[in-house]
Amino acid sequence: MSTAWAFYISTVLVYLGVNTMACWGLNLQYGYTGILNFAYIIFLSAGGYTAAVLTLGPKTEGGYQQYVFGLNLPFPLPIIAGGVVGGLLSAVVGAIALRRLRSDYQAMVFLVISIIATTVVTNDVGLFNGPAGLSLIPKPLDTVVNLSLVGYQWFYVGVTAVICAVVYAFVRRITRSPLGRSMRAVRDHEHAAAALGKNVAAIRMTSFIVGGVIAGISGAVLVSFISAWSPGGWLYQETFVLFTAIIVGGTANNAGAALGALLVPVLFLETTRFLPPIGRPGLTDALQWVAVGSLALIFLWFWPRGVLPERKRVINIPDLTSPPVAIPTTVTTAADHAGRAE
Amino acid sequence: MFMQALGFGLITASILAIGAVGFTTQFGVTNILNLAYGEVMTASAFAAYIAVSRGLNPWWGLAVGGVFGALFSFALNRGLYTPFIRRGSKLFVMIIVTIAVSLIVQNMLQVVWGPQFYSIHADPGTTVHVLGMVFTTTQLYIILIAALALVALHSLLRFSRIGKAMRATASDAELARNCGIQTKRVVDLAWLLSGLLCGIAGVALVMELGSFQSTTGGAFLVPIIAAAVLGGVGQIYGAMLGGLIIGIATELAAVYVNPEYKDVVAFGILIVVLLIRPQGILAEVASQKEVAA
Repeated sequence: MSTAWAFYISTVLVYLGVNTMACWGLNLQYGYTGILNFAYIIFLSAGGYTAAVLTLGPKTEGGYQQYVFGLNLPFPLPIIAGGVVGGLLSAVVGAIALRRLRSDYQAMVFLVISIIATTVVTNDVGLFNGPAGLSLIPKPLDTVVNLSLVGYQWFYVGVTAVICAVVYAFVRRITRSPLGRSMRAVRDHEHAAAALGKNVAAIRMTSFIVGGVIAGISGAVLVSFISAWSPGGWLYQETFVLFTAIIVGGTANNAGAALGALLVPVLFLETTRFLPPIGRPGLTDALQWVAVGSLALIFLWFWPRGVLPERKRVINIPDLTSPPVAIPTTVTTAADHAGRAE
Repeated sequence: MFMQALGFGLITASILAIGAVGFTTQFGVTNILNLAYGEVMTASAFAAYIAVSRGLNPWWGLAVGGVFGALFSFALNRGLYTPFIRRGSKLFVMIIVTIAVSLIVQNMLQVVWGPQFYSIHADPGTTVHVLGMVFTTTQLYIILIAALALVALHSLLRFSRIGKAMRATASDAELARNCGIQTKRVVDLAWLLSGLLCGIAGVALVMELGSFQSTTGGAFLVPIIAAAVLGGVGQIYGAMLGGLIIGIATELAAVYVNPEYKDVVAFGILIVVLLIRPQGILAEVASQKEVAA
């Protein structure tokens, strides 16, 4: 394998890992809990900026870029901090947006928050260097492992894979737990869930914050790898790409979300880099967006459940399906019933 | 300074009011939050641009834009939104559908027209001073057109049979249908009317801005939504008032804070309204009220 290919493939693999994590987080919010978070990309971005400023080191006077909180922390800390900041930001945004609003209003509020965030970060240059963004972010452990350029690429693929595995274990634990069941209940029938004593607001908020943490981690992994991050990389349209990925792959299915991440942001958008640029600059980008929008519409029309649909969960309760039993006459039978129910 | 900002605010407010009223008319009747509205505005502006570059008077271009917007909105609803709703798509799926449409339309416009700026040349005419505010005649015409459009819509809803049917459908579609109102026709009319106002707002916006490109309408959508939500969704007078408040507030912010934060002020107002009066925009409450008094 030539160096160029090795470089390209390892880059795509890191992108795949980052997008897969991002899709799992969004899937938790959208697929499992029914929150239409159109500001998802800002949590990813917050994690990315956090990791960046925590590795760039203290700001030098008269340096070429400006930012806040310059620190120089060792490797896993900036990524973890990215997740923490993603979660904290989610708690703040969730407190504003996760009110008793109709789902379409909520989506609109998220969209607006996403646009506000981009406007503020672009115009407040002191925050993260404005429209130019941060660059020359040191790669994690670059000086420690001391590998060749391609060697480091594969090393980072490994790092991403390990983080992905941890995130997957965590997400799977949630979605298979009673909490995951409650999330689906909130998504499918909010009022019924509330009537059964589920704290709908708390469940939504939990899902939202966990999704935000995952977004933050994925952003931190991405930005540490590409060493640069600017507002142009996280416009609200990027969230739509992740939504399309989940719709294509299969909502409320972690394998589906991973498949979607592979199909849409990675294969569908990355492979077009092989095509020779056609026409004037920007034309390919515009056509790509048309294609992503059409892909979402086509899937919503023909396969609204995605390639890997949500697993049908059937719970057999034999006592309820059998014909009504005679009212227990003796204390013993009643106790038997109680014993069996437990 | 203040009066001049107020003057700018009045012009922005007029365009916003046309846009917000169009947005709210359709939303109140059909319950679809059409996030492709901004792109219909841009598309209408391009339609007007074609007409004007063929030698038509810019004011006729405005009419062309309005008609185009009406037909485009109508087609979007018949061709895409209604079929999705018939399939049982939920509210949040419809949001994804309208965002997909907005991305497709915006980028198709860019594919066809490229990223450069275009302009519809309307002779700015002479400047007129009113109470320390300076307007060009074009701007005065825009304000006049806004006023006329809103009075016309008011009369339609208030005094015509179909207007009454529309208000009935907006407040309770089920009941209206049971009373023999052909709600399907009402919905069609709502999309046509909304598209007409959308097209007019789009052309007026680009005349006022001086130049436009494929993303212009989309960027103006959030202030429009802010105005519509501030006024209470489905409330036509509310949308007019909302447009006035948002328009003046954003222009004042542009002068006194930072022009880049114009939109942030609009968004801020939107979020504060949602926080303080979420009940004002809940579906249950909105459906109890009529679309217009």
